[in-house]
Amino acid sequence: MLGEVKLKALQDLVGNSTPDEIIWMNGYLSAVIAQTVNKPAETSPAKSGVNKITIVYGTETGNSKKLATTFAAKAKKNGINAKVVSLDQYRVTDLSKEEYFFSIISTQGDGEPPAAAKKFYDHLYQIGSEMGKLKFSVLALGDTSYPLFCKTGEDVDEQLQKLGGSRILPLQKCDVDYEEDANSWFTIALQTLHQNGSAVGAASPITTKKSSGKKTFARKVLTNINLNDLGSNKETYHIEIEAENIDYLPGDSIGVIPENPLSIIESITGLVGIDKEKTVGYKNEQISIIELLQKKLNIFYLPERVVKKYADIIQQEIPATRIDLLDLLRIYPVKNQAQFKDVITILEPITPRLYSIASSPEAHNGELHIIVAKNYFDINNEIKYGLTSDFLSHLKVENTLNFYLHPNAQFRMPEEDKDIIMIGPGTGIAPFRSFIAQRDATGASGKNWLFFGEQHFSTDFLYQTEIQSWLETGVLSKVNVAFSRDTKEKVYVQHKMKKEARLLYEWLESGAYVFLCGTKDPMSIDVENTLLRIIEEQGSRSKEEAIQYLDQMKEDGRYMKDVY
Amino acid sequence: MKCGSETRLQKLIADSHFHPSHTTMTDKNNLSHIEKVKQASDGLRGTIIQSMQNEVTGAISEDDQALFKFHGMYQQDDRDRREERAEKKLERLYSFMIRLRLSGGFLTPEQWIAVHAIAGENSTGVIRITTRQTIQLHGLIKSKVKPTINAFNEAKLHSIATCGDINRNVLCTSNPIQSPIHDQVFKYATKISDMLLPKTRAYYEIWLDQEKIADRKEEEDPLYQDRYLPRKFKIAIVIPPNNDVDVLANDIGLIAIIENNELKGFNIAIGGGLSTTHGNPDTYARLATVIGFADTEEKVLKAVYEIVTIQRDYGNRSDRKLARLKYTLDKYGVDWFLKEIKNRAGFALEEPKPYIFTTRTDFYGWTQSQDGLWHYTLFTENGRILDDEKIALKTALLEVAKTGKANFRFTCNQNLILSDITQSDKESILALLEKFNVDGHTDSASVVRKNSMACVSFNTCPLALAEAQRYLPSLISKIEPLLEKHALANEDIILRMTGCPNGCARSFAAEIGFVGTANGKYNLHLGGDHVGKRLNKIYRENIEEDAILSELDNLFDIFSKEKNEGEKFGDFSMRKNWVAN
Ligand code: SRM
Ligand SMILES: Cc1cc2nc3c(=O)[nH]c(=O)nc-3n(C[C@H](O)[C@H](O)[C@H](O)COP(=O)(O)OP(=O)(O)OC[C@H]3O[C@@H](n4cnc5c(N)ncnc54)[C@H](O)[C@@H]3O)c2cc1C
Ligand SMILES: Cc1cc2nc3c(=O)[nH]c(=O)nc-3n(C[C@H](O)[C@H](O)[C@H](O)COP(=O)(O)O)c2cc1C
Ligand code: SF4
Repeated sequence: MLGEVKLKALQDLVGNSTPDEIIWMNGYLSAVIAQTVNKPAETSPAKSGVNKITIVYGTETGNSKKLATTFAAKAKKNGINAKVVSLDQYRVTDLSKEEYFFSIISTQGDGEPPAAAKKFYDHLYQIGSEMGKLKFSVLALGDTSYPLFCKTGEDVDEQLQKLGGSRILPLQKCDVDYEEDANSWFTIALQTLHQNGSAVGAASPITTKKSSGKKTFARKVLTNINLNDLGSNKETYHIEIEAENIDYLPGDSIGVIPENPLSIIESITGLVGIDKEKTVGYKNEQISIIELLQKKLNIFYLPERVVKKYADIIQQEIPATRIDLLDLLRIYPVKNQAQFKDVITILEPITPRLYSIASSPEAHNGELHIIVAKNYFDINNEIKYGLTSDFLSHLKVENTLNFYLHPNAQFRMPEEDKDIIMIGPGTGIAPFRSFIAQRDATGASGKNWLFFGEQHFSTDFLYQTEIQSWLETGVLSKVNVAFSRDTKEKVYVQHKMKKEARLLYEWLESGAYVFLCGTKDPMSIDVENTLLRIIEEQGSRSKEEAIQYLDQMKEDGRYMKDVY
Repeated sequence: MKCGSETRLQKLIADSHFHPSHTTMTDKNNLSHIEKVKQASDGLRGTIIQSMQNEVTGAISEDDQALFKFHGMYQQDDRDRREERAEKKLERLYSFMIRLRLSGGFLTPEQWIAVHAIAGENSTGVIRITTRQTIQLHGLIKSKVKPTINAFNEAKLHSIATCGDINRNVLCTSNPIQSPIHDQVFKYATKISDMLLPKTRAYYEIWLDQEKIADRKEEEDPLYQDRYLPRKFKIAIVIPPNNDVDVLANDIGLIAIIENNELKGFNIAIGGGLSTTHGNPDTYARLATVIGFADTEEKVLKAVYEIVTIQRDYGNRSDRKLARLKYTLDKYGVDWFLKEIKNRAGFALEEPKPYIFTTRTDFYGWTQSQDGLWHYTLFTENGRILDDEKIALKTALLEVAKTGKANFRFTCNQNLILSDITQSDKESILALLEKFNVDGHTDSASVVRKNSMACVSFNTCPLALAEAQRYLPSLISKIEPLLEKHALANEDIILRMTGCPNGCARSFAAEIGFVGTANGKYNLHLGGDHVGKRLNKIYRENIEEDAILSELDNLFDIFSKEKNEGEKFGDFSMRKNWVAN
């Protein structure tokens, strides 16, 4: 039936495709057929098939949400009534009542669910199988530069089936350039629904292999100063980077992929006596061992799962622990170079580190600023520094920094006339410097209230002089600072919030937006609890009502967190 | 003469309401800004409380800074850190210096222990003996101010009016050698100090949380009114022949007149003041003029009080550079002043009595007073008490204080006297001094070093133009060999350095004076006498260390060759016309 050329093309295509891909093509084609056979008029309601579905999303930076709403819109156009719910708003007990259930969820941390999806995720592991009529499909968002690519999506997909749900479409995993994959998934999904959503058995997930679509920049460092003064326990670097034609928004972050120090790599290759220039195959490219270890693979603080694989390779018992590769090789040496090459295959990629952008496109034209707290920790009384923050702290003016943009649709300033309360102790101040500078430059009319905290007033008051002048010019209507180590009993931002409880609640009541940025634990937890207590006490509400109040704020996008 | 009762003192103040404001010489329109701040301050309260509550800055408002001085504190910042902090987007490293009011410069051992602790807790830790017989702590950050004042208060110490346009700490010759009279005279310092304290309760309200007085009338101030004085006001009492207080450098100097071991009264000198301003010919250093004598305590206090009211009413309130009593005196003349005192006090001053000064330096080491008590004067270079690599002075003094066997007296040469030690306690104190080598430290210091003073200057003094206390010690180390080279090592030469022409270490009243003009540059002054009765004059301008040393080498050479028997370096400089007469 097919002409020579087409047939050849098809055979070639099938020939060098993975089984996954063929399955996907199969699904894709069936969708195309369906479309051509009973052409559903784009707008007209569905004659046959499903007309009610639920789309849930679990997001950290808004991508999944965006896709969920796009999908819902497409569904409606096809006469399917789609209910869209964020997983933190989703009543897990409803799951058993669901019929057509689509989950769009990203992976965070080291293969963990987004904060907003945690409750749902855990629930899946607590309940027994009772999802008789549940038909589901999962769209997983992730980033191939993380070792556990789309782990959360995988887990959800797997659990839903374990719980007795039947899979409409195989799991679709997307890398950071998710648009295309997501779109074809939508099309197929809609088609399947038109065919009464008869489930495809196939469990094997789909990923469309292609190099990560991340756009990376290589730009010059303009300034790098330690903001802390003599006598501080801290080192916090203010780094300015040339950024002509890089479009970012206040609230976005940048991702930096650190390089491993050559000295360590040489000790490693020295130890195993392998020629560091020798090339090996990695992700179907030929690359020298030294470059591989320096730029691609994580050799520090290996996760237990990797240590376990290492143990299997050298066939020795190794207690479950996290450890640097060099120490591992010292204590449990590899027998030969072949074994070492195997070890290389189990090493995971160096994960990106994110840094909130501290500058404003309007105020700091053509520049991008970040604040980096030098991360340090002590291992048997030897003080060590975090890989990336240490590397960034040593950047010199004129050096080039490689980075990519990590947009955060979940951390955006509201309209110019809305009031905002910003709570950002330590490096949490970063996005707020961007916010305030932006509002200053654009003459936004909304009021701005900042809470900042650090250890010592004299040495650690990040951006003090800028904050002072913003107060003078009135851009900042109010600033509260907490310096924990200047007084006998420690004072933190949440204590200052409590002091200001009445006014803070007034602001909330009159529609102010609340932004929280900085360390997750314990800061963001204490602050959130304080916020709840204030809502409870000032609004004379019950605990539950206070929680509802805050949930409502979340839903209305009036309470936003970027914590780490 | 016997001491007057407190009630008499009160009466005396009450009587004194003669202050015709129409005679105020500054017309209201061009009052200096500070004058307006004072009058609008609601009894020196201003907006100090709000300033202290401002969390985002370590500083206080400019107007409050002016008022802060009346509470005994100055806003400062670490001038070494300015540039770097600006780069780090941090404001200047602001802090406060606090100065205690210690009439006659006296502390009990218990009080010293308290000061030691407070310094460690709240300030840089260095206890700084000043050229006016009291102590200063530096580097108090905002949050430490209140705790400091409260801690001082518990030790019965305060800083009220130790700065600002008001009467300062009252000085009195330190060493109690002439014990019976010393004790009698010493009491005057406290009486005068108390008599001239402001009446406002602001200090107690703001810092000690004492409740606000309902009716401001209760703190009405017949002496200072709401204007206070046009400028700072300084009073010193001296017991000849040792002019250790530099009595003639003060707005009012009282010279005790003693005849066969009996206090007859005081010569009264007025119009002393040393400060000048580079490039402002209208400003000049001036020694006080002895204008009369008063015998009874009542008369002495009354005279002092009215001299203050005259300055209040006639002092210049538009140009602060010309506001000290010395300018008022030169404007109206001594005769006018004597009349004015007579009008206000209701009696005339008598003719001054003769007196002599033989020295200004401290009697280092042990001295015994007539009452048999012992006093040990120890050398503290530029008044800085701390533990450093050379000597653990701070610890040593704490140990001494803990014995409770010695009082602490400060000298106007920035030194310290462990005083009033009984014969039986002397051994144990000596043992401590030896244990920490305090005596060795004092003995081994060269004569010129012991006769020298430097002001605070960098890094805290906002007015500093050149280094002083951080530099003089090393300069002296280079001057010592020169003196030895010319066999002058044991020559008593008074050498003083200040970082600017305000003259805080009385560099204008030294035989060799260094007055800072710019970083590393000093005017070299010569010709001051040894006892503080003649000021020096500029010999060389803006010279740096090399020039300073070669000049001195040359001058010492001539001096050692040509000086007469017992001739002092200052007098020799004049005889040689090194500076104009
Ligand atoms: C601590 C001390 C010098 C020392 O090394 O001991 C000192 C230190 C300062 N003096 Fe002084 N003066 C000190 C004795 C003097 C003396 C000497 C004396 O009184 O015997 C003088 C010269 C005599 C005189 O008053 O004429 C003196 C004349 C000044 C002046 C110039 C006053 C004038 O008439 O123009 C200023 C500047 C001012 O008042 O505007 C000044 C101002 C200052 C300030 C407070 C700078 C300021 O105004 O911000 C200095 C603080 C530096 C610091 O960081 O501690 N200080 N000052 C002395 C404290 C005395 C005390 O316990 O109260
Ligand atoms: C959204 C987001 C925004 C962020 N914004 C900012 C920001 O604006 N500014 C900022 O400074 N940071 C920010 N961070 C944190 C930042 O991304 C990095 O996590 C941080 O800089 C630490 O990275 P590092 O490579 O220096 O330390 P790492 O090398 O990753 O070490 C981190 C921690 O791992 C442990 N560890 C590592 N190696 C070992 C070992 N060998 N043995 C034992 N323990 C070990 C230690 O506890 C150490 O503290 C943000 C993070 C996120 C997710
Ligand atoms: C701190 C952090 C950790 C991440 N960890 C992983 C991971 O372990 N595995 C993965 O596939 N993607 C990981 N990602 C990538 C996100 O899943 C990816 O950016 C996704 O597009 C975010 O979608 P969202 O905006 O809906 O949260 C991580 C991203 C961040 C910021
Ligand atoms: S003389 Fe000048 S520099 Fe020295 S303390 Fe006084 S004001 Fe400061």
